[in-house]
Amino acid sequence: MSGIKVEQFTQAVGNADEINELLRRYGVKFGIYKNGVFKEQFFPFDPIPRVINAEDFKSIEKGLVQRVDALNRFLFDIYHEKNIVKDGIVPEDFIYISSGYLAQCEGISPAKGIYSHISGIDLVQGKDGEWYILEDNLRIPSGASYPLIARELTRIACPDVFAENNVTDNRNYADLLKETMENVNCGGIRAILTPGRYNAAYFEHSYLAEHTGSVLVQNDELFVEDNILYHRTYSGGKTRIGVLYRRIADEYLDPLTFLPESLIGIPNLMEAYRAGNVAIINAPGNGVADDKGIYYFVPKMIEYYLGEKPILKNAPTYLPFYEEDRKYVLENIGKLVIKDVAEAGGYGVVFGSDLSDEKLEEFRQTIIAEPRRFIAQEVIDFLDLPILEGGETVMRKADLRAFVLSGKETKVWASGLTRFSRNPDSFVVNSSQGGGFKDTWVLSR
Amino acid sequence: MGTISIEHGDHLYWLGRYTERSFTTLKVLHKIFDRMIDEDHCYTEYLSCFGLSDIYEDNNDFIRHFLYDKNNPNSLAFSLERAYDNGIVLREEISTEALSFLQMAKDTLKKSEKMQNPRLSLISLEDNIYGFWGCIYEYIYDAEIKNIIKCGKSLERLDLYLRLDYPYRSIRKAYSRLTRNLESIPENTPYRYNSKFLDEISNAVESADKYDKYSSEALTALEHIFDRPEVSA
Amino acid sequence: MRNVNFSFTTKITFDDYVHDHSFALRIIPPETENQHIVSYDVKISPFVSTQQTTDAFGNNVTAGYLRNEHRFLDFEIRGRAEVNSEIKRTDYMPCYLYKSELTAPDEELAAFYAENRDRCSSTDPDTRAEFFSGLLSETMTYQKGVTDTDTTAAAAFKRRSGVCQDFSHVLISLLRMDGIAARYIAGLAFCDGETHAWVEYWNGSCWNGIDPANNCRTDDGYLVVSQGRDFRDCAVDRGVMFGGYSRQLHLVRTELK
Repeated sequence: MSGIKVEQFTQAVGNADEINELLRRYGVKFGIYKNGVFKEQFFPFDPIPRVINAEDFKSIEKGLVQRVDALNRFLFDIYHEKNIVKDGIVPEDFIYISSGYLAQCEGISPAKGIYSHISGIDLVQGKDGEWYILEDNLRIPSGASYPLIARELTRIACPDVFAENNVTDNRNYADLLKETMENVNCGGIRAILTPGRYNAAYFEHSYLAEHTGSVLVQNDELFVEDNILYHRTYSGGKTRIGVLYRRIADEYLDPLTFLPESLIGIPNLMEAYRAGNVAIINAPGNGVADDKGIYYFVPKMIEYYLGEKPILKNAPTYLPFYEEDRKYVLENIGKLVIKDVAEAGGYGVVFGSDLSDEKLEEFRQTIIAEPRRFIAQEVIDFLDLPILEGGETVMRKADLRAFVLSGKETKVWASGLTRFSRNPDSFVVNSSQGGGFKDTWVLSR
Repeated sequence: MGTISIEHGDHLYWLGRYTERSFTTLKVLHKIFDRMIDEDHCYTEYLSCFGLSDIYEDNNDFIRHFLYDKNNPNSLAFSLERAYDNGIVLREEISTEALSFLQMAKDTLKKSEKMQNPRLSLISLEDNIYGFWGCIYEYIYDAEIKNIIKCGKSLERLDLYLRLDYPYRSIRKAYSRLTRNLESIPENTPYRYNSKFLDEISNAVESADKYDKYSSEALTALEHIFDRPEVSA
Repeated sequence: MRNVNFSFTTKITFDDYVHDHSFALRIIPPETENQHIVSYDVKISPFVSTQQTTDAFGNNVTAGYLRNEHRFLDFEIRGRAEVNSEIKRTDYMPCYLYKSELTAPDEELAAFYAENRDRCSSTDPDTRAEFFSGLLSETMTYQKGVTDTDTTAAAAFKRRSGVCQDFSHVLISLLRMDGIAARYIAGLAFCDGETHAWVEYWNGSCWNGIDPANNCRTDDGYLVVSQGRDFRDCAVDRGVMFGGYSRQLHLVRTELK
């Protein structure tokens, strides 16, 4: 752990309960539905941080900037000229069958050409020390608020640890976010659109609103008049919104453009957006670039748009869509992880090794019938991280969601959300499936 | 920011009301706790102020229902939950700090349920509410926002004092606080007072004698304080 | 080439007051390679300020917001256009080759396609489009009142009947399965007093029009109002409103001469 001893940390913290008590006090929660009933759960925090040394981070940072820049170029291309398809790098099918592709967004040029303002890139570190990209989240990636508040509280609980180690301060996230919002502001106030209190990430929506000085809004407080988005005030007036950081999915954003049955959207928001009167963060239509099927092509995009070799590796991935890959997948299905491209949040992920021979055969037939629906990946032997459990240190699988913000320049937040699995046998690290989080330290030297 | 929606205005107002209801309820229950040492069923007077009859086995049963029962709209637990519900959607207006005191108040109440002597731990619940109000003064820069919460608070206080038949001195204080807050509410907003009803209240609490006679009229007028004035055709 | 006068009137009546009514209308015909809009005049009542944009499919969108209470929304367009179907449009979009919400085939429609595709031996898109349109007129009957605007191609095909919208959706579905890009056209035609719908398919270098409900080619008597992947992209009016209304009454009258 880069010179930091686990013992030193656990001693300083004494007991994780203290920090969890503080997190509880500050209401660090996420919402979850159990048997149809909404519950707020405290997000369990493990005090032993993930530590990334300065040199490693430099290379991760370069790789992430490169990746997100290429993804932004890709999105602009797909909704305009489509050169990457014309040049045969990405097969047309993969774009237009993707549920994330929104034809309604064709020809729209978002402010400054930025589509993915906030990208959450999930990585894992292999036992060989190499970092691999697991997936890109370019729609509404969540989770930045948790390490942000956890850092604030761990610095209170164990100042000595921070005094002795050169940990880059991560509490600039809200400022970065504010800069990113202001960079594309079309004239007006900043607002964060939430579907409401009963959303899993409501804590984050309200926390980021507070810390970026944005107004937290729901759709019934907003309206579009003369293609301008307004906040309706209680005195009967209106305040113009110049940039909307929306935390609701594309399909629900505007019932007059997308799903007519959406009750959480803003009618004619897309007209205001198309007219250039409001910036939407992230741009609608980004789903085409973080599709599990498109993931395979990201290294090719980097070469195509930037003329550079990709710095960060993808996990070795096969597309059953290609005959050669399909053959490999069908033969080796028992050792691969298969992902359904239509599912999110840790669902639709199947490890071949967990399946009976009969189930495997069934799965093979599904792949043959619908090759476009799946991708297959080699199982990466990730580096386990220590977590505290009942006073003992145990090793668990963990991933890292890095946050990349595209404003005037593309910046990587020197931290990230490290999520771990509680279950010793599980590879799935998702807060909606149990598990907790850690702070991520980036050392400054 | 300076932009308040109808929905947020509503939450601000009710946040003030429920926090105050929690606080006054806590104060009253403290008194009842004290009386409980000497007498049984000592809370009937309190119940009658709300038109409720004594359906409780004993003092402890009453406390269980009025401190901890989240389904009883007159309980402390209920008021705190509602205060929290209104607060949670106002984080960017009232601050995470203010919200943390409501969370702590809820946690403190929950913990006290398991205590041998809950009164001791209820003292820190009182501190939590003081802490909450401290944050409201400390962190809310926008006077308009602050004032809506304060209006809710002082209106709730006068309402409860009238119902609980508090002495004239306390009523007078609660009334002048409320008028001070109401005067600062801008015209054409939902919490601008209706002067007809404010006059009625003012009249009813003008003197101790009048207060004895007209306290229920004052209570009724208070319910209509934000009614839109009738427009003469 | 032909000069046409067109008009299009819609009255939406609510049975109770509505307010905060946002709407998006697609009623102004687009200026294209083969249709020139010489002049037009739009009237909307109650009075409301509106804005124009062009959507992803090239349609003119008129957006507005009526805040105060009202019980009706009337809009009318009158204008003059020059239509020249000799000239062909070339505004291709690859999304027209892929299935959409209302045109995705079900098993029955896919099986129908598979049974019939080889009955036409030609590989020429024009011939194939005519073949499929002909096939539909043999298979489906024109019948009003059995389908609505949300009916999918699969549902209309299952009952083997529908109106011009349904014929168009089914034909689009068949053409796309056949690897021919096709789009939905909402417009005005000489044949009737309501809005009409037909199909344009991509023949490799340009769009050609075909009217499956009448099983004929389109000509100068067809004026395009909007186009898209299916009806959803072309809806004349979409709106969201608040209030205690329980139903809205739609009255449409069109004229082309």
